[in-house]
Amino acid sequence: MKRVLLAVLPVVMFAAGAEAELVGAPIPIGVGVAQTSNVALFGQEQIIGAKIAEKYFNKQGVNGTPIKLVTQDTGGDEAGAINAFQNLISKEKVVGIVGPTLSQQAFGADPVANRLKVPVIGPSNTAKGIPQIGEFIGRVSAPVAKVAPYAVKQAMKQNPNIKRVAVLYAQNDAFSSSETVTFQETVKNLKLEMVTLQKFMTTDTDFTTQATAVLGANVDLAIISGLAADGGNLVKQLRQLGYKGIIIGGNGFNTANLFPVCGKNCDGILVAQAYSPEANNPTNKAFVADYRATYKKDPPQFSAQAFTAVQLFVEGLRKVEAATKKKITQLDLSVVRTELNKALREGSYITPLGEIALDKEGEINQKTFYVSEIKMDAGGKVGKFVIVK
Amino acid sequence: MDQFLQNYGFLLVTLVQQSLLAYSLYFPLMAGQLSLASPGFYALGGYIAAIMATAEYFAPWRDALGWGIFPLGWLAAGIISGILALLVGIPALRLRGIYLALATIAFVEILRVICLNLAITGGAIGIFGIPQLFESRWSYIWTFGPLLLLILCFSYRLDRSRVGRAFKAIREDELAADAMGINPTRYKVLAFVIGAVLAGVVGAMSAPFLNTWNARQGTFDASIAYLAYVLIGGSRSMWGPLLGGIMLSALPEILRPLKDARLIINGLVLVFASIYLPQGIVGAVGSIRNFTTQTLGIGRSEK
Repeated sequence: MKRVLLAVLPVVMFAAGAEAELVGAPIPIGVGVAQTSNVALFGQEQIIGAKIAEKYFNKQGVNGTPIKLVTQDTGGDEAGAINAFQNLISKEKVVGIVGPTLSQQAFGADPVANRLKVPVIGPSNTAKGIPQIGEFIGRVSAPVAKVAPYAVKQAMKQNPNIKRVAVLYAQNDAFSSSETVTFQETVKNLKLEMVTLQKFMTTDTDFTTQATAVLGANVDLAIISGLAADGGNLVKQLRQLGYKGIIIGGNGFNTANLFPVCGKNCDGILVAQAYSPEANNPTNKAFVADYRATYKKDPPQFSAQAFTAVQLFVEGLRKVEAATKKKITQLDLSVVRTELNKALREGSYITPLGEIALDKEGEINQKTFYVSEIKMDAGGKVGKFVIVK
Repeated sequence: MDQFLQNYGFLLVTLVQQSLLAYSLYFPLMAGQLSLASPGFYALGGYIAAIMATAEYFAPWRDALGWGIFPLGWLAAGIISGILALLVGIPALRLRGIYLALATIAFVEILRVICLNLAITGGAIGIFGIPQLFESRWSYIWTFGPLLLLILCFSYRLDRSRVGRAFKAIREDELAADAMGINPTRYKVLAFVIGAVLAGVVGAMSAPFLNTWNARQGTFDASIAYLAYVLIGGSRSMWGPLLGGIMLSALPEILRPLKDARLIINGLVLVFASIYLPQGIVGAVGSIRNFTTQTLGIGRSEK
């Protein structure tokens, strides 16, 4: 019997050795966001945030083992996202993926990762239904339904007499068209009257029709869901045609790229934010300091969310080591992926976004949101977001 | 092999899918019609399949048919695309050359804006969570592959049939063809409808393949990409769209290790190919062969 066992043992060990695939060192974490196409603007900001996180967390690594970010360009379409994800999963053998940039891309590529049991954290996917794609899918970008209402409440504080509201949105942008639904519900819940609903395209440049309709409706508050270029032009034309009321911008306004577009007319726009550079915790302070040192300005929300996504993976990997009492690099890749996914959903994290946690489904549970007002300088060139208390 | 399919399966199927879309542009071009409407029918087909696979209304159908709902979706997409192409084609094909191209671009835009605004198409977010026909991406070759073979056989037969010769006669000179007793309108619409049906079916097959479907599928950019496949592959040969589709859609992925430089190189290839290979790659191969046989006398049997 003993002899048989001795004969069989090497064979079994060899087979196990061939089967098991260990995690590489440094531990690879995938970043699949858009570095080309028309969403590259957001993707670039995400890469910057993730890179800062890599540097920051590699001071300690995962209990000494460093991490390594592997980036793959998804482009702006679904096929590109699926290709990038496949590449990260089977060729680069990453333990988890941060990405993709757009919600539509997430609906295309996340099911692929989910089927292969690789944890994904969406840094900027805000559409309804993202965490529900599967058990391996989570996100650190609060859904629009959570963030948007704060701005309307702030506007009510500034002018309690608001009654008539105009709602405008970019109909060809996924984010804007789901955000506007939330705004419209908020308006209804606050017993305000939506007197006009106007649509535009992100590619439009002339907003005379929409501006005239808003002015004709005699409103006290205009709520705009659009992106920087179109939204900024819309604000400019509204103000130039004589609109005096309060303007609320959606999350698309949440970028300094807006300032050159509407210039002086940006002044006073209210924007609800999931992130503020002024958030007071050590992680955020380190992140902001590093970002400012390189780019001489405050970090945008997209960078902060990408940083947070990488942070969750690093802290998750530490938890896996604590639970299995083994080094990550001694563990089987598929085991790490599954365990990491479980670990991500446990406990809370102190991140640049404040204290957050992922629930069982992978949905973010964020404690604090902010409302900022845009303040432009006298020349109308330089502006900043100032938190309204 | 398994690992290879895991890594590149999706890409391989994408190559086949893109070549099929190139063929949807090739058929109207065969009759000399520069139509950029294919992405519109592609998007339409995808929406039809996606709606049939997810909408509440079709739930009893799905229960009754099982996986049979997928072929039914292809069929529905093909028929609806064909009917729409007929309705659009009869007035639109009175336009020639660049005017037809513009009209078909407008058609694609109209479809896109309609899809953005309908509730059933899911607005800008589109339709997601589409049920799968296969587990792994590369298995989708079993839907796209046979379709490609079918289209190749079809092109081969068409090339040698009366209809194919009528197409080519119209391409060379519409007036002369008319004088010879060919009804140009009839054949032009026929070519347009064949392309549309193909694009619709490919769209219907692509919806589960991409997991999701939205209004960003089949835009103007896509029209230009398909046109490039055909022109750079060679618009005068049935192998042109296949070669062009495979090469041009593989290039950005093959160049992936080059990171940022890959799109520059991709662009350069397009520019050089259109300057130096006016007949497309297949055309260039043909003229090299002519050159060697005629000028150098290689490969020609001595008399």
